[in-house]
Amino acid sequence: MTADDVKIRLRNAHKRFRGDQGDVAVLDGVDLEIREGEFFAIVGPSGCGKSTLLNCLAGFEHLTSGEVTIDGAPVGDPSPRRVFVFQEYAIFPWLSVADNVAFGLAGLRRPERDRIVARYVEMVGLQGFESAFPHELSGGMRQRVEFARALAVDPDMLFLDEPFGALDALTRMEMRREITRIWQETGKTCILVTHDVDEAVELADRVAVLSTRPAIVQRILDNPRPRPRDIADPECRALRTTILEVLGVGSSR
Amino acid sequence: MSWFALRKEPPLWGQIALGGGLLLVLLLLWTMATSGDAVETRMVPPTILPSPSEVLGGLDSLVNERALLKSVFATLRRVFLGFGLAVLVGVPLGMAAGAWRPLSSTLAPIIMFGRNIPIAALIPLTMVWFGLEEGQKVMFIFLATFPFMFSDAASEVTGIHERYVETGQTLGASSWQIFIKILVPLSLPNIFTKLRHLFGLAFGYIMLAELINTDSGLGFLLRMSQRRGQTEHIFLILFIITLLAVVIDRGLAWFQRGLFPYRKDL
Repeated sequence: MTADDVKIRLRNAHKRFRGDQGDVAVLDGVDLEIREGEFFAIVGPSGCGKSTLLNCLAGFEHLTSGEVTIDGAPVGDPSPRRVFVFQEYAIFPWLSVADNVAFGLAGLRRPERDRIVARYVEMVGLQGFESAFPHELSGGMRQRVEFARALAVDPDMLFLDEPFGALDALTRMEMRREITRIWQETGKTCILVTHDVDEAVELADRVAVLSTRPAIVQRILDNPRPRPRDIADPECRALRTTILEVLGVGSSR
Repeated sequence: MSWFALRKEPPLWGQIALGGGLLLVLLLLWTMATSGDAVETRMVPPTILPSPSEVLGGLDSLVNERALLKSVFATLRRVFLGFGLAVLVGVPLGMAAGAWRPLSSTLAPIIMFGRNIPIAALIPLTMVWFGLEEGQKVMFIFLATFPFMFSDAASEVTGIHERYVETGQTLGASSWQIFIKILVPLSLPNIFTKLRHLFGLAFGYIMLAELINTDSGLGFLLRMSQRRGQTEHIFLILFIITLLAVVIDRGLAWFQRGLFPYRKDL
């Protein structure tokens, strides 16, 4: 990897929280390099510090020691260059689909804003639902609104924090396919945090497997399979098995 | 039998029959206790418990001789002014304190005092400060409800999930924009519910305030009726107060559903 295609670099990242029983170490020396335009997945057991890691990349939290740089510069406050898509529906219930998507575009003139909204509403496949309200939509459609709203501010990076956690199994499969398509269409750097190994295998170019808390990176695995991927094909299943073994829950097959 | 199933609501006709049944029984007992040709033969004298027909018959004198409507309006005016003032000050201030915690810490002593003082204890002071006229009644309602509105509004704003704030930040909104465009609209529906409960409280407090130096108002009418021994008027006024409270609450609930159509749980 050459130095100039590294988008995000995390060096010897430590994060400690002050708790009731003294300090708790959450990140214990994490090193990562995420490339420009890459789909990067971070998997790990529940409570291992995956989300903390993502929060530190986004600027919501700050490392206790170590450094995190984006495009070579230290991470500052949260910024529209790095937009989150969350598992809880953080879409605004009093705004229509179009107004939700337009939320981050308040500084733009009307025609420009309408054009961008139309573009991303179409990209996520919600044409015809522009004036619908969130409570009238299914879970999968609400998730699409989140994606459109995030993409509308044209970020460099999309942070996906277990984005499909609240969806049912079938919708989740459908959304994975959609995310693959959107990622290919937009070329954004995507960082996915998940405990769903299949999700990481289907979506990511590379998968970092974290240890239990305090987290370190145990392994980084490549997945060069072309997309769209079928997680049932042998190479994907082999990768899945490897990830599960690294996580310590390998099958006894 | 399903009527005895745990936590199961009976069908609508059953609900009406059960509630209506109790009312009928009470009415029957009331009639029996108050029937008799002469006062001496009655089980309970009319000054203690007038009969249902005596209560109904008192309506004419209550409306015409005692100017019922004037009192209804006087009471409503005081409640709405005092309550409205408390909403105008308490809700914005409370929402701001929920978003910016140092403001909450600053005001904490005043709010703690206001929430914990037995409300009737404030009456003498409000008389010293605001006189004996309308201003005192309005300010009494204001002081009685403001601290609760403040803390309700503040806790609704603090209770909003951090995800919404983070979403606003990553979409490029400033703190002020997050407050105005996210925290305020998200907290308003629940604050409105709290306000409905507080209105019930304010309606109760005004009766207290109207026991002192008034020449109109439902509280004043109650005291007058008691002094003159017109127990049938007392009964009528109690019914009217309940009816007003129910109608106002339902009206507010209807208004709330219209304001926040996306909140199907309201």
